[in-house]
Amino acid sequence: MTREEVFVKLNEIFQDVFDDEDINVNDATTAADVDGWDSLEHINLLVAIERGFGIRFTMGETTGLKNVGEMVDKIMAHLG
Amino acid sequence: MSLVSAAFLAFVAITAIIYYLVPGGARRWILLIASLAFCASCGFYSLVFVLLEAVTTFIGGLLCGPDKKKGLRNVSAIITVILNLGILCAVRYYGVIGMFEESLNQVLAASPATKTFMTYVLPVGMAFYTLQLIGYTLDVRWEKTAPEKNFFRYLLFATYFPYFTSGPMNSYADLSVKLDGSKNAKFSFDRLRDSAIRIAWGFFKKLVIADRIAIIVNNIYGNHETYTGLYVFIGAAAFAIELYADFSGCMDVVLGASHFLGIDLPENFNSPFLSHTIREYWQRWHITLGGWLRDYLFYPLLRTPAFIKIGDVSKKLLGKKKGKKIPVDVALIILWAAVGYWHGGLMKYVIGTGLLHCFYIILGEIVEPVSVKLRKVLHSDKLPYKIFQTARTFFLVMLGHIFFRAVNVPDAIEMYKAIFRPFAINGEWIASLGLDTSNWIVLFASLAVLIAVDIYKYREKQEEAPRLVLEKIASKPLVVSWAVFMLLFIAVLVFGMYGLGYDSGAFIYARI
Repeated sequence: MTREEVFVKLNEIFQDVFDDEDINVNDATTAADVDGWDSLEHINLLVAIERGFGIRFTMGETTGLKNVGEMVDKIMAHLG
Repeated sequence: MSLVSAAFLAFVAITAIIYYLVPGGARRWILLIASLAFCASCGFYSLVFVLLEAVTTFIGGLLCGPDKKKGLRNVSAIITVILNLGILCAVRYYGVIGMFEESLNQVLAASPATKTFMTYVLPVGMAFYTLQLIGYTLDVRWEKTAPEKNFFRYLLFATYFPYFTSGPMNSYADLSVKLDGSKNAKFSFDRLRDSAIRIAWGFFKKLVIADRIAIIVNNIYGNHETYTGLYVFIGAAAFAIELYADFSGCMDVVLGASHFLGIDLPENFNSPFLSHTIREYWQRWHITLGGWLRDYLFYPLLRTPAFIKIGDVSKKLLGKKKGKKIPVDVALIILWAAVGYWHGGLMKYVIGTGLLHCFYIILGEIVEPVSVKLRKVLHSDKLPYKIFQTARTFFLVMLGHIFFRAVNVPDAIEMYKAIFRPFAINGEWIASLGLDTSNWIVLFASLAVLIAVDIYKYREKQEEAPRLVLEKIASKPLVVSWAVFMLLFIAVLVFGMYGLGYDSGAFIYARI
């Protein structure tokens, strides 16, 4: 999967989790840019990403992510 | 050794003098020796259990490291967690330490003096200690931190004496960096002044407020057949204040002592009784416990297959928006039951500090649509509404505290019933609460100071607000800031509750 393909799929997951079809994430997107992205919704988002991509994050990977770009890096690493 | 005692102050002072005199590289050893000495002062068997947990979690951490096979890492983590929770339960609920004492007394045919010593062998702070070490094990397994390979470095993290008995809880990643930084810490009079003020403030809260108001609490809770109606509320409100002044005062002493050594620990309280909602209250009360339960219980639970399945089913049945709240609410019930159980393992705690708060939060979510409309009508941005919210939150917390302070659940129910019995407010009854006029004046004056400081911190709306008060005092001329310390010091000496049989060590949370 290319980085672009990951972004397309990830964007669909964001739109589904936050119930907002206008969301368009990029490398620099942070929690402050998405309405309702609090720590609890972050867990729902991670679960949806794991299911969507068929991967499993460690708990250590789920904290300290600075932006969506870093999240994509983690997904790419799991997809190998 | 009690945190509120001249012995503890002398202990901190001697440790600090040696600490600042030795070369930076040796300071960790000074802290470790002081910490082990402090643990030993809590009792020989406490030290044994402390070392047992430290050794098992240290080995568990090594076996959980990323260089090991996944199966071994999982098994090691599970065994380490179960073993240490088992030790905690054995110590707290099954009197294992008491059994040891009994057999030792029989073997030694202990003299009365030895028996008196043994009476004080209590595993203080075991709950904080165990949770913190379990947190380390899970951090290693989840690759949040690398396993510590040096046992003595790890032992210092585990037993660091300022927080050993009552917290605040720390993650290994955070505290190890701070302990490493001790080699560069420099003594300064500014540091001494800030620490002295913080410790004196803690002594003030404990000895002038908590131990004075405890007299009223003990009278009302001990005689709730006499003290009915409004007196039950007075007792419950007084206990809420006692608990806050007691525990947050303890934290002030801990943080002040550690600051003197150049190691700043996380804040545990931030004006909790000014919160507008129960959710906000728990973001301001016992902050590090809340963080621990969130990171090591609540979030991991939500990511388990069982909770994901609950979410799937509830979304199908209730729709996406409502359905996704169900697994969160189920996890909340488990979380709050754990909070209550942690406070003492009795049903009165599970209800009063756990499930009742969970009920408040879930009920708040259910009535949220109505609340939104109500807030618009009632001008929620105005001060009167905010005062109403603060009073409502305090009242709800206070109701839970009736369970917390009562002897057991039936006793708490009797107190609730007593609310509806007739009562009379008059001078005699108020005097019978245990305080004379001058003590009432001291209590109200000291409460006014506490409330003023809390309002100042709350208005700052920052996570580190408690430190801002010190910064504010420090920004004043030297004479003023030392005068603040002297005022607190004199207030503690003159108005502190000292008397026969008085035990300043009996912090409510240190018994947990």
